[in-house]
Amino acid sequence: MNALDTTSPPLSVGGDLANDLAITALELARRIAVGATLWCVAPAAPAHAAHLAVEFLHPVIMGKRAVPAVALEGPATRTALRAAARPGDVLVLLGSVREPELHALARRAAPWGLTTLWFVTDADTDIDADADAVAVPVAADHVLRAREGTDPWVDLVLAYHLLWELTHVVFEHPGLLQPSAAAASEVCVTCADEGRVAEVQQLADDEASVRCGGVTESVATGLVDDLVAGELVLVHAGVAIARIDEAS
Amino acid sequence: MTGTDFLYPFIEGDERDADALLDDLAASARAKAQESARLREETLERCASELAHTAMAMADGFRRGGRLFTFGNGGSATDARLAADRFRTVGRFSGGLPTLCLSDATAVVTALGNDVGFDLVYAREVEALGRAGDIALGCSTSGGSHNVLRAFAVAHAKGMVTVGLAGYGGGAMADCRDLDHCLFVRSQSVHRIQETQAALLGHLAARVRDDLERDGAR
Repeated sequence: MNALDTTSPPLSVGGDLANDLAITALELARRIAVGATLWCVAPAAPAHAAHLAVEFLHPVIMGKRAVPAVALEGPATRTALRAAARPGDVLVLLGSVREPELHALARRAAPWGLTTLWFVTDADTDIDADADAVAVPVAADHVLRAREGTDPWVDLVLAYHLLWELTHVVFEHPGLLQPSAAAASEVCVTCADEGRVAEVQQLADDEASVRCGGVTESVATGLVDDLVAGELVLVHAGVAIARIDEAS
Repeated sequence: MTGTDFLYPFIEGDERDADALLDDLAASARAKAQESARLREETLERCASELAHTAMAMADGFRRGGRLFTFGNGGSATDARLAADRFRTVGRFSGGLPTLCLSDATAVVTALGNDVGFDLVYAREVEALGRAGDIALGCSTSGGSHNVLRAFAVAHAKGMVTVGLAGYGGGAMADCRDLDHCLFVRSQSVHRIQETQAALLGHLAARVRDDLERDGAR
């Protein structure tokens, strides 16, 4: 995955969990390689977020690298994330698509500059049968359907264990930890963080509403001249920092 | 390419094609998930009798007004918390079964760890909170966590029911005289052990619920 890939639909819904885990592990390892911290949130079962965080921070296998990871819980979670998470960090959500706070966090993750992984704990049938009532987590960059067996606890633990294991396999391939050449050219020159690709919808003065990661948001456009609706821009921390040349 | 490059194709870090790696990763995930499922099945089958006895003893404890205290370290601390949640919220006893995760008490655990030593954190908590007839359930993937074993000793001395979950064939828990019941996993992978322990705890909670609900039906 690189910054440009976000122009394609971000969802891997209905995909095979093993393939989704592989793609997610590659992206996660790349983020970690450039200094990302993992922020883990599981409002309905905070112990899972704690488990995932300790897994990454203090690996059970000697010699594996320690990855900065934090579990947040409680009423101040959103405020703490907003204040402490840095652009380029990774937000890991664990829980049901019926938990409004998870959607709220996933939606805010992009404006905050975070990549989102969501371990969805609903059985597929739950969601399909109730499609109208359930907002599919379109704001998440990676959706991992962690419900394959009969015990949601076991399924979820297995899924995030596998993510940890695969991510550490990726670390053994240093050549693949580099962002692709295309993505490298889209890096913010002032802070070296990756930006996200967004499509301009409407323009007004020095602001534009853009579609980004499946949601509409408002960004400052002062750094980019003469934008027109339909163009792609690289958005970083609420600011459109560069036009993406689709011709090249 | 020099003569030995084929042995170390990416030693220069110039690997660029992620597709092959993605295929390997997905295959690895499937194999590990399969191994996890196999281990769970093997363990649940091997532990069937011990599971039944443990569930019976725990249900008996709850029936007599006993409370469940769970504890562990690291990932096992989170498993202990999930176990406390699972037992608290089973079936019609939702909100009813008295359970408490000792690992959650950050202030107490850090105070004891700082003042008397980490080996004693759970022993001291059990000493303070536990009574005869209560249940102490400790998780340790190695089976050898000192603070978990020390807590079993205190719990056993107080006349509590003691239940241990372990990996590595049981480790020190396998020979622990303070343990009434030991459910162990035959694996050396901490991840696979924890997945199987989660399954064991799930089954245990379901059996305790069934046992208590049979009571209620009478």
